[in-house]
Amino acid sequence: MDQKKKLLKRVIAAVILVVVVAAMVIVYLQYGPQATKGKKEVVVEVVVPREKTTDFTLHTNAEFLRQALEEKNLIKGADSSAGFYITTVNGREADSKKQEWWCITESGAQVNYGVDQIAIKDGDHYEITLKTGY
Amino acid sequence: MRIKDIAMIGMMSALLFAVQVALGFLPNIELVSLLIILFTLNFRWKTLYIIYIFALLEGFMYGFGIWWFYYLYIWTILFFITLFFSKNRSSFFWAVVSGVFGICFGALCAISYLFLGGLQTAIGYWVSGIPFDIAHGIGNFVIALVLFRPLNNLLDFIINRTFHSNSN
Repeated sequence: MDQKKKLLKRVIAAVILVVVVAAMVIVYLQYGPQATKGKKEVVVEVVVPREKTTDFTLHTNAEFLRQALEEKNLIKGADSSAGFYITTVNGREADSKKQEWWCITESGAQVNYGVDQIAIKDGDHYEITLKTGY
Repeated sequence: MRIKDIAMIGMMSALLFAVQVALGFLPNIELVSLLIILFTLNFRWKTLYIIYIFALLEGFMYGFGIWWFYYLYIWTILFFITLFFSKNRSSFFWAVVSGVFGICFGALCAISYLFLGGLQTAIGYWVSGIPFDIAHGIGNFVIALVLFRPLNNLLDFIINRTFHSNSN
């Protein structure tokens, strides 16, 4: 009887977990980054304070910003437990000793995703700015 | 607090930090959750010292960014959950607890974004991390299921030798 009770508790726990994970997947598919297929034109502005600002117009079929930037060899970085981390943009490497890092915004507004989760659409405008200080 | 306690806290903090750094290249696969559960079951309130020494070392290693704020409370939440269920010694039970903690990790981290960027930022942060949270939950569950018993036995052995040994 005890064994049956134990098994029942485990089955219930497993079912609840599956339901929770399924709900999270649905939330992600509904409200997460929505990729669009097909050709897109995206403008990327690389801003280095006190140096020049360079614009790049990307014509790409990529669904996410990382792929579009890598197609043009515009970025280098490393995978981390928090996603892809940009270290170099247009040949300019962020100096971690000076607490430099690259910040992505979309038409000046904060972006809530990492570069490998930013779904791009035709006509999008992104700024990649070198920031100092964590 | 005895000198043995201080030495043990130092060693376990170092172990926790070393394990995190060593497995850091694996996205959302970590032993930290299981070790904090084990430390809580075996060292109880002294585990809080370990957690905050660990958080400090992480800050020195990776820089004191936004992530560091949620490191100040997230492991403590796991500590209190473990303390609440501390009478239980079932591997499966702790695998489920560790798995659920992994699944909820992103939501718990999003709390700090609520104060830093508002509700939209917090929700955006949580939603974008859902695939990582699911991987984290599965990883935590499997790791705890396999390693809880052997590591708990090892900790028992170490504690008995260190604190309860009658030899010189």
